[in-house]
Amino acid sequence: MKITQIAGFLGCGKTTLLLKLSRALSDGGNRKIALVVNEIGEIPVDGKIMEESDMQVKDIGGGCICCEVASTFAKTIYRLYKDFKPDHVLVEPTGVAVPHQVKLAARMGGRDAKIEMGPAIVLFDATRPAELLDMDMLGQLVTTQVKDADVIAISKIDAVEPGAVEDASKRVRAYNADAEIVALSAFTDTGVDRLVETILDWKEAR
Amino acid sequence: MDESTPQTPGCYTEHGVSGYGVAAELSRKEPMNEAFVREMAEKMMLSIARECMSLGAKCIGHIKSHLKTSAGTIKADTIGVAHGSYSTGGLSAPVDHIYIAINSIVQGIPEDAVKAATLEGMHEVANQRGLTVVKEKEHSYFDEFDFVASKQEYVEQLRQQLDADPDENEE
Repeated sequence: MKITQIAGFLGCGKTTLLLKLSRALSDGGNRKIALVVNEIGEIPVDGKIMEESDMQVKDIGGGCICCEVASTFAKTIYRLYKDFKPDHVLVEPTGVAVPHQVKLAARMGGRDAKIEMGPAIVLFDATRPAELLDMDMLGQLVTTQVKDADVIAISKIDAVEPGAVEDASKRVRAYNADAEIVALSAFTDTGVDRLVETILDWKEAR
Repeated sequence: MDESTPQTPGCYTEHGVSGYGVAAELSRKEPMNEAFVREMAEKMMLSIARECMSLGAKCIGHIKSHLKTSAGTIKADTIGVAHGSYSTGGLSAPVDHIYIAINSIVQGIPEDAVKAATLEGMHEVANQRGLTVVKEKEHSYFDEFDFVASKQEYVEQLRQQLDADPDENEE
């Protein structure tokens, strides 16, 4: 059971990508996929959207899985392993979650389950890079998310000029020298295949 | 959700991010077609975003909605007024009832202000278009609903939830 998180700030396209990845990874039903979604704000709108996709969805409410309800997340991972035994679990944390803390919580759930960690894919919204990196607003949070990324997906590239994608890539590279950067549009499917390959091939560094 | 009771403030509070969610039943005497519902949902998202900014928000994180009807589903969202709003989904026929869930996540104002902006934005746009807010309930989870149920069954589930004792949904 490989656990991959699709992280990134609010509104960057996580749910749309997650649904695309889940369909591609299932390979027409040859692989079992489970989705775990966590939202702040009390109404799990994303969870409802996912459930309509007929996927196995676990909705975690009551707080953020990287901190407040990390133990609930860990138990969810264990229960998924025990009851459903998916090949892949795709996790959508809240848009304010810190990826390395989500990994730690998932590993807690994996103590009694045979799991491996997939990549932390962090989306960065190409339509509002300056806003996201403004240190008086969200910069501290977003740069932490970017630093934690194994793969950075510059999202919504269909909505910006090509120069804006390059600009966003340069901005995030300044905070993470190692992560692969993928240009992504979940609407045109640009970059989706690359992310699927990455998830399938990913071997966690020990 | 019993084990999910937060013991410490969430990471989002450190960044001044607050969220508020509400579910409501809306109705209109004249049936509403897909174009009408999509336009209303998009305007609602922008109205809430505008209200949040007027109350002092620094940034709109994500304001999103899910509108369920007997003829299909519409989803609408925005990440800020300057970014516009976007909707997907469709209706196979005009409807006179809509079940809507809205989740607003915003930086720079407390939850009470996000709540005020969300309710104001929803009511304002609904009223402008001749819709009545029949019922509304905050912090409602839809976890128990079967999303592969038929459309009629689904709507009945939503109706029962909105009719239920308020405390039942907050456990």
